[in-house]
Amino acid sequence: MTKLELDVNGRRHSVDVDPAAPLLYVLRDDLRLNGAKFGCGLGQCGACTVMIDRGAVLSCITPVSLVGNRRVRTIEGLGSAERPGPVQQAFIDEQAAQCGYCIAGMVMRAQALLERTPNPSDDEIRRELAINLCRCGTHMRILRAVRRAVALIAASVRTGAP
Amino acid sequence: MSVLTRRRAAPAVRALRVVVVLAVLALVALALAWRPAIEPIDPPAAVTFAAELVRRGEQLAGVGNCAACHTRAEGPTFAGGVALQTPFGTVVGTNITPDPATGIGRWSETAFVRAMREGVDREGRHLYPVFPYDHFVRTTDEDLHALYAYLMTRDPVPSPPVRNRLVFPLGFRPLIAGWKLLFLDSTPVAVNARSSAEWNRGAYLVQSLGHCSSCHSPRGPLGNEDRSRYLDGGEAEGWTVPALNGRSPSPLPWDVEHLLSYLRTGLAVDHAIAAGPMQGVVAGLATASTADLQAIAVYIDSTLGSPSPSRQDLARAVRTRASQPTLPAVPAAVAGDVTLALGETVYAQACASCHDPGRGLSSSAALKLPLAVAVHEPDPRSLARIVLHGIRPPGTAVGRWMPAFGDALTDDQLVALLAYLRRSAAGAPPWNDLRARVRDVRREPPG
Repeated sequence: MTKLELDVNGRRHSVDVDPAAPLLYVLRDDLRLNGAKFGCGLGQCGACTVMIDRGAVLSCITPVSLVGNRRVRTIEGLGSAERPGPVQQAFIDEQAAQCGYCIAGMVMRAQALLERTPNPSDDEIRRELAINLCRCGTHMRILRAVRRAVALIAASVRTGAP
Repeated sequence: MSVLTRRRAAPAVRALRVVVVLAVLALVALALAWRPAIEPIDPPAAVTFAAELVRRGEQLAGVGNCAACHTRAEGPTFAGGVALQTPFGTVVGTNITPDPATGIGRWSETAFVRAMREGVDREGRHLYPVFPYDHFVRTTDEDLHALYAYLMTRDPVPSPPVRNRLVFPLGFRPLIAGWKLLFLDSTPVAVNARSSAEWNRGAYLVQSLGHCSSCHSPRGPLGNEDRSRYLDGGEAEGWTVPALNGRSPSPLPWDVEHLLSYLRTGLAVDHAIAAGPMQGVVAGLATASTADLQAIAVYIDSTLGSPSPSRQDLARAVRTRASQPTLPAVPAAVAGDVTLALGETVYAQACASCHDPGRGLSSSAALKLPLAVAVHEPDPRSLARIVLHGIRPPGTAVGRWMPAFGDALTDDQLVALLAYLRRSAAGAPPWNDLRARVRDVRREPPG
């Protein structure tokens, strides 16, 4: 076990963990941030997607020791049930979840995409989200939600709203 | 005064002469570059082509991989729109469906054959040599006849051409005639009477429609293929393309069976899986006939040649290394090397869970890295691309894949991992400029 410092959702955390443990396990088991889901454990489904700095990563195959002092963001960091962030709000508005298991990963990958590319084409959205699987088949709603998020973010930038 | 005047006049006259000579030369060059338009035809009805001929054309279109440049991602087949980045600018693949207005619907077979062999479109415009007519020129009449039948029986898709963006002055197409004068060699593929018919078919396909050496050979300063270094390895879309001659970087020698499996499925046991532009090639080859693929495999097996004693030693060493449970530890002599130590940690924590078990039946089982071609290549670009962007099957195809680690790893971690793999997986001397190459790959589009 090794003591590590982690910056998650803007807060510093000290954890005492196996350095080879996947970031996902530390987020869920040690920090009780259960938004990111364990799907396949092999980096093949995207349910565990979180952000490190400005990129979307598969936290089930990212060893915690390699995170270092980079900023980790999980879906809990984007907003709360009372005050959802724009991407979360867009997913709610479009009712883009059925069972919901994939949605935290979808939201985080969409968030990363929109931070890099504020106005992506449909092709870019599809390509980016292609590796996140949804077994319920809500893909069309998810695509609509991402497009809605683009508009929500643009509107909040215009009005200066948070 | 008059002396002075004469002195001033003489250079002016000389200059005028030079201008006149240049103008005449330019006119002659333009006249030589000029190609007539070929009369448009009414699009031929699909029923005028025999089904068997169309099927043969489909197989050949697979060998030629027309779709790579003429079908954009998730776009209609052969409707064009693929932006091809070249060192000379961006050329956009054209619509080769039989749409009369925006495709080749009004092209006669004569016009089609001229485009394939001479790189001139129906209207008489020179085509940029990113369209590999320097290979297609060797295609037989029979094969071109089948290809024409296949293309003219596709669904016509209206899809207007997209403007090319070339560096000045290459937007002026008659200049291409000069390139052709230098580099377009129409000598047919020589028949080797001592080799089998299958070998000869393979040699023909590889050097004509297959245009393998377009990527697998190095290119000269004018984008021309360096014929003196045939199949000596090249580059494509930011990837290192391995040599297919005696200098092949593959740690295990290939044989016909493995080559055929690779061309058919993109995967050969104990060899790398197809990544980068080769994925599109394999996707295209899906429609090729097994006989043609087998012929290509037989020919490429011969260009690879029988492995030299040093290649055989490497193969033995690599097999031994791959038979171990994990990669060899960094030896004590360099144990203090912080880069190698970090690389070893990254491998152990991020890579080993899939790569140590080796390739099995599970979709997550991965190649033992001593066997991976990318760690043995002369430069680290392809390996860096695979780690950063992963491997995804093209389009909606299913297939083996690897997740991307680009956002999970810092540059330091990536450089350390690559340095470690070079040493412990390949057992080869370090790559030069590893950090700079990693930075390049970070900047380039995933592709």
